[in-house]
Amino acid sequence: MLLRLIRKRREMFTGYLFVLPWIIGFLLFMAYPIYFSLNMSFNRVLITSEGINTTFVAWDNFKYAFLSDPQYVEELVVFIQQVVFIIPIVVIFSMLVALLINQPIRFKGLFRGIFFLPVVITSGEVVKELFSQGATSIPIVERYGIVQFLEANFSSTWSEPIITVIQQLIIILWYSGVQILIFLAGLQKVNSQIYEAASIDGASPWEIFWKITLPSIKPFILVNIVYTTVDLFTNALNGVIGLIKEHMFKLNTGFGYATALAWIYFAIIFVILLLVVLIFSRNEDYNPRKAGR
Amino acid sequence: MNSFHGNKINPTRIHRSQLKYYLFLIALSAFMLLPIVFMFSQALKPINELFLYPPRFFVENPTLKNFLDLFNVTSVTVIPMTRFLFNSVVVTGCVVFLSITISAMAGFALSKLQFKSKKLIFEANVIALMFVPAAIAIPRYFIVDTLGLTDNLLGHIIPILAMPVGLFLIKQFVDQIPNELIQSASIDGATNFMIFRKIIIPVIMPAMATVAILAFQMAWNNTETSEIYMNNETLRTFAFYMTTLTGNLENRVAGQGIAAAAALIMFVPNLIIFIFMQSRVIDTMAHSGLK
Repeated sequence: MLLRLIRKRREMFTGYLFVLPWIIGFLLFMAYPIYFSLNMSFNRVLITSEGINTTFVAWDNFKYAFLSDPQYVEELVVFIQQVVFIIPIVVIFSMLVALLINQPIRFKGLFRGIFFLPVVITSGEVVKELFSQGATSIPIVERYGIVQFLEANFSSTWSEPIITVIQQLIIILWYSGVQILIFLAGLQKVNSQIYEAASIDGASPWEIFWKITLPSIKPFILVNIVYTTVDLFTNALNGVIGLIKEHMFKLNTGFGYATALAWIYFAIIFVILLLVVLIFSRNEDYNPRKAGR
Repeated sequence: MNSFHGNKINPTRIHRSQLKYYLFLIALSAFMLLPIVFMFSQALKPINELFLYPPRFFVENPTLKNFLDLFNVTSVTVIPMTRFLFNSVVVTGCVVFLSITISAMAGFALSKLQFKSKKLIFEANVIALMFVPAAIAIPRYFIVDTLGLTDNLLGHIIPILAMPVGLFLIKQFVDQIPNELIQSASIDGATNFMIFRKIIIPVIMPAMATVAILAFQMAWNNTETSEIYMNNETLRTFAFYMTTLTGNLENRVAGQGIAAAAALIMFVPNLIIFIFMQSRVIDTMAHSGLK
């Protein structure tokens, strides 16, 4: 009994020892700054050469953001509209690509590599540079009049979203890299004997997709929606984050206001993710990890 | 654990019925690679092609003039370019090595060792993943300043060591290592440290490759720490140097070519690291499933 207790103690001790470097780094450079920013969001902050002056203003920063700021709410609404539109496209698109790559074809590894490549492109300065050089639009679309063709043949309610999607196709493709891999991982975990059994029983590929493939990768759809949402929301290139950065060094609004905006934004991400998880985790009747083995 | 390459079902020959898949995949891959091709061809364009309207995608008369211009601009500055390059290499090397080690240790402990509040730590990490990075820049500055890391190469390294994504990925990966493996080792008398070194590290190599690639991205492309923490010019990084260089030149006609060349030079190391590590990285993603 005593021995076991000592062992348990020791394990706890080594446990803390292993996490310690990470915890120090996290507390100093993530947790404390996040707490600090929450604190500052209730203050009016002036950064002067002598240091920072803060005055407590309670909810004023938040009120200002919703009631008086000419840009923030507008920018936020536009961004959320875009996100709601892009998320399903990214998820469906990456599922299609994953299904294609999962077919028994050659050069699988090569294709997988190519579709994972955006992870290198979309981070840091590179993507900014690409934007400024105009590499993110597809020259062929404009040159061969696809846009005009769509405008002429569809009503504007349909042609407009289609055109935006086509124009942003490269961006959408770039944001699908990790999602494709997640779906691939999910598809690999489905037992191939289930497919065989189904096709012996005379199921068409269409039926197999709806009855077997889709239910078994359902958990991965949730993971991908969450991943895509976080990815889009924390992307340094989106308008809202740009606005937050801008306010950070403005004299009349300042850092306090910028952090208030950041916290509103964070709360929205959090609520959206919570809703997604709640909707998708209901009626979880089929668990491929149990049935698939 | 289902091995990702467990069932080698790739056929050796292309069957005609598969052509439609190739058609789709090759078309999509072309879209995927387009921007990279564009970057290369932009850097090789002579000045008259850069300003053609409508812009051409591919370079027609490739020239190395942009790179020569870039070299000329950098050779007249007071501080030699190699100094920034040296800073970046040292910083990136340290960040990659240390952040992998720290994340691997923490990931192992959070996944396999029993101690209080480990769930809380992991949840805090997930929340940190979602937070707007820009909003914590200023509080971070105060901490860096109090620790005396401003105007110190360590100021580039220490603030970004605790990588939420790194811990997240590695922990998910360690979760898939069967507990029996660890139990049997500890029955044979292995200490936790030995288990970590002899069992965990070899098994999570692919996850560590992923984190390495992400850490490399973050450190190599980092301009923020140079901008905020470093007053001393000689301590700034290559990425920062490149942005100031192109930032000043952007408005000039000649600057466009130089900017394109600089962007390519910044990007190439990313691509090289990616090509070296990609097969391992992809394995990780497939294994971890990010659940």
